[in-house]
Amino acid sequence: MSKGIRGPEGRYGWLFVAPAILIIGVFLVLPILLALYVSLSNWNGLGSPLGNSGFVGGENYSKVLLESGLAQRDFGTAIRNNLYYVLLVVPLQTALSLFLAVQVNRRLLKGRGFFRTAFYFPSVTSSIAITTIFIFLFTSSGAVNQVIGWFGINGPNWFATPTGIFSPLTGGVPGDGPLGLDWAAWLSGPSVAMCVLIILAVFTTSGTFMLLFLAALQNVGEEIEDAASVDGAGAFRTFFSVTLPMLKPTLFTVLTLGLIGTWQVFDQIYLTGGGDPGKTTLTPAFLAYDTSFYNLKWGQGAAIAFILFGIIVALTLLQRWVLRDRDLGASGVRRQKRALARLMRDAAAGAKR
Amino acid sequence: MRARTWGAALLTVGVVAGLGACASGGGDSSGGSELSILIGTSGDAETAAVQAAADAWAADNDATVEVVVASDLTQQLSQGFAGGDAPDLFYMSWDQFATYASNGYLDPYAADLPNAGDFYPALTDTFTYDGTFTCAPKDFSTLGLIINTDLWAAAGLTDADIPTDWDSLEAAATKLTTADTVGLSFGLEYARLGVFMNQAGGQLVDGDTVTADSPENLEGLQYVQKLHDAGVLKWPSEIDAGWGGEALGAGKAAMVIEGPWIKGIQGDFPDTNYASYELPAGPGGQSTFTFTNCWGIPADSDTADAATSLVEYLTADEQQLAFGDAFGVLPSTESAAATYAEQHPENASFVAGNDYAVSPVNFAGSATVISDFNAQLANLAGGDAKAILESLQSSLQEALDEANGN
Amino acid sequence: MTTTEAAAAVATQRERAPRPRKRMISAGARATMILTYVILGLLALIYIYPFLISVGSSFKTDADATQNPLNLLPETWSFAAYERLFTTVPLLQWTANSALITIIVTACRVFFDSLAGYALSRLKWRGQTIVFAGLIAVMAVPNVVLLIPRFLILKQLGLYDSFAGMIIPIIIDAAGIFIMKQFFESIPVSVEEAARIDGAGVFRTYWSIVLPMARPALITLFILSFQGSWNEFSHFLISRQSADLNTLTTGVASLTSGQLGSGNQYPLQLAAAVLMSIPVAVIFFVFQKRILSTSEGGEKG
Repeated sequence: MSKGIRGPEGRYGWLFVAPAILIIGVFLVLPILLALYVSLSNWNGLGSPLGNSGFVGGENYSKVLLESGLAQRDFGTAIRNNLYYVLLVVPLQTALSLFLAVQVNRRLLKGRGFFRTAFYFPSVTSSIAITTIFIFLFTSSGAVNQVIGWFGINGPNWFATPTGIFSPLTGGVPGDGPLGLDWAAWLSGPSVAMCVLIILAVFTTSGTFMLLFLAALQNVGEEIEDAASVDGAGAFRTFFSVTLPMLKPTLFTVLTLGLIGTWQVFDQIYLTGGGDPGKTTLTPAFLAYDTSFYNLKWGQGAAIAFILFGIIVALTLLQRWVLRDRDLGASGVRRQKRALARLMRDAAAGAKR
Repeated sequence: MRARTWGAALLTVGVVAGLGACASGGGDSSGGSELSILIGTSGDAETAAVQAAADAWAADNDATVEVVVASDLTQQLSQGFAGGDAPDLFYMSWDQFATYASNGYLDPYAADLPNAGDFYPALTDTFTYDGTFTCAPKDFSTLGLIINTDLWAAAGLTDADIPTDWDSLEAAATKLTTADTVGLSFGLEYARLGVFMNQAGGQLVDGDTVTADSPENLEGLQYVQKLHDAGVLKWPSEIDAGWGGEALGAGKAAMVIEGPWIKGIQGDFPDTNYASYELPAGPGGQSTFTFTNCWGIPADSDTADAATSLVEYLTADEQQLAFGDAFGVLPSTESAAATYAEQHPENASFVAGNDYAVSPVNFAGSATVISDFNAQLANLAGGDAKAILESLQSSLQEALDEANGN
Repeated sequence: MTTTEAAAAVATQRERAPRPRKRMISAGARATMILTYVILGLLALIYIYPFLISVGSSFKTDADATQNPLNLLPETWSFAAYERLFTTVPLLQWTANSALITIIVTACRVFFDSLAGYALSRLKWRGQTIVFAGLIAVMAVPNVVLLIPRFLILKQLGLYDSFAGMIIPIIIDAAGIFIMKQFFESIPVSVEEAARIDGAGVFRTYWSIVLPMARPALITLFILSFQGSWNEFSHFLISRQSADLNTLTTGVASLTSGQLGSGNQYPLQLAAAVLMSIPVAVIFFVFQKRILSTSEGGEKG
């Protein structure tokens, strides 16, 4: 009976997804395969890679990862820069967006809509526009340095300072680290110029994640917070012991998205000079682009792109594995419901006293 | 129902196909030639001059020419070549030349030009790959010392104080440094610091060996460090300027090291008066850099003959002098340059510099190493110059070996 | 559109409105509230001020913008930047290109993504699971990794440096299909079954019955696609090189990264940045309630 009605669905099903399969196949799957081939070849950029290149196996990869030389050093520098970017941006944007969400969510707050709009607006604009504005704000006599000046601090020449912020502390560490950089370079922290980009990233993404947390907070509901506060828990205690655990899934989402996003930073690097000053804002994504389009080393550029792909996938899987145990399964949800019920009973009992 | 479905499907296919048909095909160049020229311009004056010259040639040769201004010449060239759609004629800069030539991108037409022997030897060398003179130099510029004459006079200095060696340069810079103005400024990059290394008698490459890590080069870098430590030298970024010319024009620096393109600051800073002199000599003698571009023609191009004829026209003495008048570049042939120096005495020092100038190092793959060198130079102030040179030595030798096919 | 937006939209499509409750406010609580207002106010100022400064500075002269960066209002009002923007700088052409691309991409995405999402959620056909698994896998590919590969394919297919090359690769995105699929699954099957029993064909059911019910998700998809294609940069960077194919993003990028020559020409750059943000800002304010209640947005990281 159902087969009769759903008979032509087979044909329609394929027809409906046909455009999607076609476009994604031709412009996503096929390019990946072609780039994989180029990364294993010595194509020089002239003509089609399929005809005019020779297979060289893993030579491009070993040049970037294993053989000591400029290619490996550049890759190491790019990884180091992006690593600091990730390590600073992800916690900062998560914490800030959570803080904003909690504050904006408070019942007693008037003008919620205004605050939400204000914090979310930067996320809507293009990275090009925001970077242009930031370049203006962070010149050595620009708005930011003027504001810092009110506090008596002499602001640095933001975009032109290549010294890492940890290098006064770690400058003396001896020895050579991985990927051709010595340990002093690995531990020197992001440069002052990179810090501007970190601030930019937090500025533009905190609004988006604030909205995610807001939605989750509204799902948490108010009775729980009420119950906890009647029970005698202060605001901090309520937050850390009650609210935060219930936000775990959203936190997990935000962290994952943050990780994936920060390893791909490209537009801002392009606009601020492609690694200036002193290659301290160079990232693997831009390095891949630069190696291919400027130095005409297409095989090497493609290899860097694939290594970056591998890093992102590995990190995402790692993060899923690390946080999976604490994800609420069905039994976890039941457990939590029971805990809440207990809390509310106690609150009611406490109120009677 | 079914008709609507298929209708929608057909519409989809039609839209996609229609967009595909909009794809721009490669340049077709047959019959009365159509040439496209890709240039990187210093401003409107240059664009207009090139267009006018090209049109004049086109009128005489039954052709049409289109001048395209690149916003990023290197990237657009590489994308053009990779896309199979390279321009018929383009500016080929000295630093990219070896890479393109070694990859087989360029047509070696220059050796057959009737005026091939008229160019400066230094320029011919720059554009010779594997023993073949490949493309015709279109102009050159050298670096000179540009002095703000008002600030010079205000500091009580005279013509006798014009720096002719390192000590007098330091003395003059010290006298010119005030609270608002720094005595000397130039960009923190190989294209500027390299002259000091050469003036100390050093060089980066000697045949097949890299000699970056030498006492002479070290002396050059240490001299720059000394000036910076004394506070009489500041990089443009330290004084809120984008480049030396801006520092000079805004009065933030009294002396800068730039080339004849300094003329371009008169638009933004019409009240700044300056004069140009040859760079002072170092312990190893006089030295400066010459920067030059050539006219590049893609290999296996359909329009090679027409393009070559256009290049012949554009590199003729008369045309080069016209360009020099329009936007301040120096003609690449010795005869035209001599005439130019007479007509434009303010640029005479730049012309004179070409007699002993050298090109910055430029073999296939050297550009990457130099940009790494520039990145490391960012830490020169208060840093370890020897370590920087050692790193340059190993990277440059590696690149040179690779370029030589080892 | 990225995985961010998909996850965000899916995770928050159904939200309960908070129930307001009246409470007595103690003095301590009031003090905290005031502190909160101060902190939030300060933060909001930090978030908004850059845009206000940009608008104000775009009306300043070059020197004024460099010397008085914090002032909102110009010392002397100057329209020079805007004049240049509309004469020497081909801003209108860039806008036209951006608009054309955005309209086509948004329309295609809304149409094709919902089509595919419906097929994956409601129709039964062989190979469904494999295609869905492939979709998830595809969503895992980071955009940045695709820069060089897409350039190679465009070159191979002869679509490089053309509108087709800029548009076609992005007219369908896996995240959008995912959003639509999730939403369709929340629509009760009974409606469809009823239509089917009444004799409606598959496409008719989809088009006239199910799609109108999916309006919230469609609007979400519309907003995301509009924003994504208007703000797209890296794809346009690698898929074209001619100046007359410049979109607002690549054009303004060329302004900022030095095509201007010497001097600090901030008013011009800022005016361009402000103007290019207006359409997305308008869409944002128009659909604000919907956006802020379903919490999706663009990933900048």
